[in-house]
Amino acid sequence: MNNLDIISVNIWQILISLCNLVILFLIFKKFLFAPVKKILAKRQAEVASVYDEAQKEHDDAMELKSSWDEKMRTADEEADRIVKEAVEKAENRNEVLLYESREKAESILRKAKAEAERTKADAEEEIRKEIVDVSSALSERVLGREINMEDHRNLIDSFIDNLEDK
Amino acid sequence: MTVLLLILAILPIIAGIVIKVMFVPASNGIDITGAHIFFTIDLPFGGLPISESQINSWLVILSLFFFCLFLTYGLKTKDMSKRQIVAEWIVEKVEGLVRSNMGEFFMGFGPFICAILGLSACSSLLTLVGLFPPTSDINIVGGWAMMTFILITYYKFKAGPLIYLKSFGEPVPFLAPLNIISEVATPISMAFRHYGNVLSGSIISVLIAALLTTLSQLIFGKLPGFLGEFPFLRIGLPAILSVYFDLFSGGLQAFIFSMLTMLYVSGGFPEDEYFKRKRLKEAKKQNKQAIENTNGGI
Repeated sequence: MNNLDIISVNIWQILISLCNLVILFLIFKKFLFAPVKKILAKRQAEVASVYDEAQKEHDDAMELKSSWDEKMRTADEEADRIVKEAVEKAENRNEVLLYESREKAESILRKAKAEAERTKADAEEEIRKEIVDVSSALSERVLGREINMEDHRNLIDSFIDNLEDK
Repeated sequence: MTVLLLILAILPIIAGIVIKVMFVPASNGIDITGAHIFFTIDLPFGGLPISESQINSWLVILSLFFFCLFLTYGLKTKDMSKRQIVAEWIVEKVEGLVRSNMGEFFMGFGPFICAILGLSACSSLLTLVGLFPPTSDINIVGGWAMMTFILITYYKFKAGPLIYLKSFGEPVPFLAPLNIISEVATPISMAFRHYGNVLSGSIISVLIAALLTTLSQLIFGKLPGFLGEFPFLRIGLPAILSVYFDLFSGGLQAFIFSMLTMLYVSGGFPEDEYFKRKRLKEAKKQNKQAIENTNGGI
């Protein structure tokens, strides 16, 4: 049979097997590890860039948010201020209105009072005249003669004044 | 394309089977012989016999080469294919193994360890398709052990020849002969461990096959004609044993061999001295440069 023995050491075979191992090492290095590592590095870079981007976007968003917050806060203040102003204005106006109306009312009242006073005075005068007339007529009738109008009037007036005084 | 590469990866194994069927005389399965020799090339020191183990290991390398191409064809950063996941898994596992056993300095050993693992495991697993496993040839495994020995010595030499020589005189100088013996014994023991395990697996398989043949002849020998000749007991049991001797033992030996390589190479490497020497060298270089600069200035 053309076979090797179970244990047969041959220097050439050992060398060739050594070279085989080195060749396979190179094959693995070139065709398995290099491409896989390259793709891993690439993916790492991609992931890092994605993370960076996300971080940047996050930062932008936070900046935007803070600016909006600021704006919102100032807007609130503005609104407060406007409302306050409006309220103040309204209150002022209210007061003015109130004052005006009070004034008006008072003037009306005053006018009415004056009117009433005047009417009263007129009425008094009227009544006095009437009384004078009536009393003079009465006296004329009673006395049967013409009396001095002037004296009469003075008399009655004093009488009425006496009445009023009591 | 991927299918083509996969076919190319399987083709060498089929070619091996074809070569075996065409050129290797059939045996009844209970011979214990070495690899079949196809022809011998005339060289000094006994000539180079091109045997089954040589051919088979070349076929394994070819197959692994195409398998690598198959795995790494069309790598993408997103939407990975299953092939890519397998490729990345292999790379990461091997790198993790190297990192945990050898440290960051030896990360370049990844492909080498992967080569040992792949070549050894695939060579041992060739028995599954009925081919002669190259790992049961002492020359093949011896070559790998030589490679390991060269690497060990190379990394021991890295810190300078003096430290290399001094390492034999430790812990006490008169142990130097023993140290030298153990140094030489390392590759031999590695080679014999691997080769012996695979070979003994085949031998035990053959012995059990022979035993079972005899037993079935004893039991079923009275049956007429062909039935009496047929070794019924050889159905089943050898397959179960083959799971241990071929699959488990083959994988385990590959792992042990690569593990020992890593441990010996990183263990023999005098790290502290190497870095000290490196620093010294750099300092010297800088000094030299400084002197040159001053000379140039003058």
